[in-house]
Amino acid sequence: MGEMEELRKEAENLKDQITEARKVVQDATLPEVAAGTAVVGRVQLKTRKTLRGHLAKIYAMHWGADTKLCVSASQDGKLIVWDTLTTNKVNAIPLKSSWVMTCAYAPSGNLVACGGLDNMCSIYNLKGKDGNVKVMRELAAHTGYLSCCRFLSDSEIITSSGDCTCVLWDIETGTQKTIFAGHMGDCMSLAVSPDFKTFISGACDFTAKLWDIREATCRQTFSGHESDINAIGFFPNGNAVITGSDDATCKLYDLRADQELITYQDSSIMCGVTSLAPSLSGRLLLAGYDDFNVNIWDTLKGERVGVLAGHDNRVSCIGVSSDGMACCTGSWDSFLKIWN
Amino acid sequence: MSGKVCSSNSVMQARRTVDQLRVEANTDRIKISIAAAQLVQYCQEHSRSDPLLTGIATSSNPFKDKKTCVLL
Repeated sequence: MGEMEELRKEAENLKDQITEARKVVQDATLPEVAAGTAVVGRVQLKTRKTLRGHLAKIYAMHWGADTKLCVSASQDGKLIVWDTLTTNKVNAIPLKSSWVMTCAYAPSGNLVACGGLDNMCSIYNLKGKDGNVKVMRELAAHTGYLSCCRFLSDSEIITSSGDCTCVLWDIETGTQKTIFAGHMGDCMSLAVSPDFKTFISGACDFTAKLWDIREATCRQTFSGHESDINAIGFFPNGNAVITGSDDATCKLYDLRADQELITYQDSSIMCGVTSLAPSLSGRLLLAGYDDFNVNIWDTLKGERVGVLAGHDNRVSCIGVSSDGMACCTGSWDSFLKIWN
Repeated sequence: MSGKVCSSNSVMQARRTVDQLRVEANTDRIKISIAAAQLVQYCQEHSRSDPLLTGIATSSNPFKDKKTCVLL
């Protein structure tokens, strides 16, 4: 087929163009530029609280915007909203499907969402009139598992799925507003930019993509990982993206230089990264691994500056509260821990 | 998907790939020295207010159980 061959050649030419254009701006490296910055020194965080109550593996957690509450999801079929200061369970929500893989807290604090192997994103209203927490909407259209979800507001949520797409939903009507297609593998994780105008997705095609929410387009694609990207997050100023992969590394990609600036790796680390969260200033990267630990990295210099060891099984999720005061880890050992 | 590949589907997919690559090739890129400097600057500007980086005094740590002494 003449056209297929032409298109294939054109694609290769464009990829070479992009590689060359990225090389043109490589006039320095991040560690070089950061050489004059003070060293971070050993970071030692202690477990301040252990949240006990789930009866099976915890797959996801998300802090509320108020910095005191968080929600966690476990394959015991429950969503639990915790008061992290008192360790009390504010809500224990039984799920229709116990195969949950993700959960999210709306910025308003009014709603939580979850989903998983049921291919749906279920929205729960925490502030219902009679005090009971009920399913408000079931967003169904994905043809693969729900890997991640994040609220833009009480009326919009973005989901990522094993069907290789991400979707922006209208929660009121329960319909898909925009489908973001382009990944060639399961979408595993997503994160919304601080200004809510863009979001990033990490997938099993080893790439991360930056999407414009309103234009409904993919603006940039970042490669380099040698295996599935399981975790993704924005650097706090919104100008860089951090990814965590089954290839045992995390990478920081700068959006305006359109390329990777640094890889966080160590020859002694040979297991996959499951989750990640930057600290408030962006100087620290906390990443959860399959070997039950969390490694803390100096994002500018690329050195490991700390380890959080305390779980008896894989760390599946991690989050830093919005005031930066604490880090929460969730594990297959069924516990959540609050560290600072 | 079945083993049969619909040829018009492949062409459409290839066209979409090329269109997307064209968009990405047209991205403006700034020098790494500038991009990196701005990341470093952001970290430095916010480091003093980053509790996990600076550490938190027990008295201002809401997660630390404070043992209070009662004067009898």
